[in-house]
Amino acid sequence: MTPTTLSADVCVIGAGAGGAVLAAELAEGGMRVVVLEQGPEHDPDSFTARPPQMLARLYRDGGQTITLGDPPIAVPLGKGIGGTTLINSGTCFRTPPQVLERWHREFGLDVDEQSMRQYFERVEEALSVSEVTPELAGNNAAVARQGAERLGWSHGYLRRNAKGCVGSGVCAFGCPTSAKQHTGITYIPRARSAGATILTGADVRRVEVSGRRVEGVEAKRADGSPLLVKSPIVAIAAGTIHTPALLARSGLGGDSGQLGHNLALHPATGAFARMEQTVNMARGVPQSFYVDEFADQGIMFEGVAGPPSYAAMSLPVSGRRHARIMSQYPQLAQLGLMVSDSSRGRLHFLASRPVIRYDLNHTDLERFRTGLARLQQLFEAAGALEVFLPLPPGVAPRAARRRDLKLIGFHPLGTARADARPGHGVVDGQLQLHGIEGVYVADGSAVPSALGVNPQLTIMALATRLAFHLLGVAAAHAPLPAPAAPARGGAHVRPRTP
Amino acid sequence: MGPLDELIDAGPRWQRPGKRVLLALARRPRGLRLLQRFPPADQAGAGLVALARYDDPDRARALGWDADAVVARGRELRRREGRP
Repeated sequence: MTPTTLSADVCVIGAGAGGAVLAAELAEGGMRVVVLEQGPEHDPDSFTARPPQMLARLYRDGGQTITLGDPPIAVPLGKGIGGTTLINSGTCFRTPPQVLERWHREFGLDVDEQSMRQYFERVEEALSVSEVTPELAGNNAAVARQGAERLGWSHGYLRRNAKGCVGSGVCAFGCPTSAKQHTGITYIPRARSAGATILTGADVRRVEVSGRRVEGVEAKRADGSPLLVKSPIVAIAAGTIHTPALLARSGLGGDSGQLGHNLALHPATGAFARMEQTVNMARGVPQSFYVDEFADQGIMFEGVAGPPSYAAMSLPVSGRRHARIMSQYPQLAQLGLMVSDSSRGRLHFLASRPVIRYDLNHTDLERFRTGLARLQQLFEAAGALEVFLPLPPGVAPRAARRRDLKLIGFHPLGTARADARPGHGVVDGQLQLHGIEGVYVADGSAVPSALGVNPQLTIMALATRLAFHLLGVAAAHAPLPAPAAPARGGAHVRPRTP
Repeated sequence: MGPLDELIDAGPRWQRPGKRVLLALARRPRGLRLLQRFPPADQAGAGLVALARYDDPDRARALGWDADAVVARGRELRRREGRP
């Protein structure tokens, strides 16, 4: 079959948090951009607010990606235009300053709070980031707030990328009101307006390199036909699990020995409480409230909630007791516990598919034990009639073993980490592959360390920074073009030669 | 095809046969008793059954959750306000 051949200034692989932002900024800066997205473009009219269907349609592998290790951890990933921003809770944290300091100190990255601020501000404006109001947060957040206030623990309402949210309660299952400003309805339309070509169902098989320069990519369309994109710059944003797989099958990024290593997952779990009052957890923003009293110990509580089917799946009891408690679903409250992990996993590649190996270390196990005990304390302070910790019957938090934990890793990071030193990282401080000109990584895999907070804003800010590097705009203190103003037809910024 | 079949089919190929077996066992009293001897399998099987059971619109409505109403409100808002 004769391949279709396209040419571009930049080929972006993936249309999630990193790829969509990069594509829009570059296209608006005057570059010819082709975006190759493996998944489909989802029509919000097809969203049903029913978790089983939406898991099957919006999540990679139906949300059933799981690690091998002790304990096995589910790793939910989005699929299609918008990537994981389509199915996340919309929580927006900037990279904590101490993390940026660490990146500068340990990984030699030229980043700090001051230089990154402009990128964060730009992304936050594009995504309409604002703090959730107590009214919109709903009763589930009110329970957590009551507990935190009674205990004197630090807490607050989360900032989210939402506009016109009415609290549908199904952020993770496709926002039916298009209130959540995921990249599929923000940056991708901007990229299109600025002339970018967005192709869905495009499975990139290889990044082609000649000598030490990239030439383009080889992909397969949904109908099986081959596609070649000739491009002097290729930015890979296929996500923390799949970017290393693409690099590995292209024979790239392996020199440092770090490709696929250093995987942080930000593992999480959640507890339920039966309250006297009506909560109706799915009415309101599911993730709207946080308790950061123990953030310096790597422990963070964030809201989590969902419809009855979602709650029934994760309620940690069984049999008749499960049915009895579910009959009181309107009185159930839930709160999540996230641990900023020091454990590190790695990816193996089996027939070009990534296999995730991750074992929770003792430090993180201790954090979960402490966090679960604190979670119980918080719910009791809020007046819970019963607390349901995600542990087997009779196991107290302090006695929990790894295999007792039911964990989900929402925020995989670090598998193609940035480090200025070629022997220590896969990409350099500008996110370019060490030793190969023109190949960049613009997703969570380049993030050098765990953040302790939700990472979408960090990934987007780093992608914005990369875009301005490629466009040749001075990173620090330079005025940036307005987010919504396509540059085509206006000033054309010459791409920097990679 | 039911929502649960769709979900299992969307999962990794290597997981599908095991999930179908778990589901079949979890739906039968004798199977459930067998599963209870293996807590992780019990958890996975029971979780799938619970997901399907409480996805039933009538059962969910009785608990205060009406997915159709949530979707209808979303469509109306998108249409009225010109949202994407």
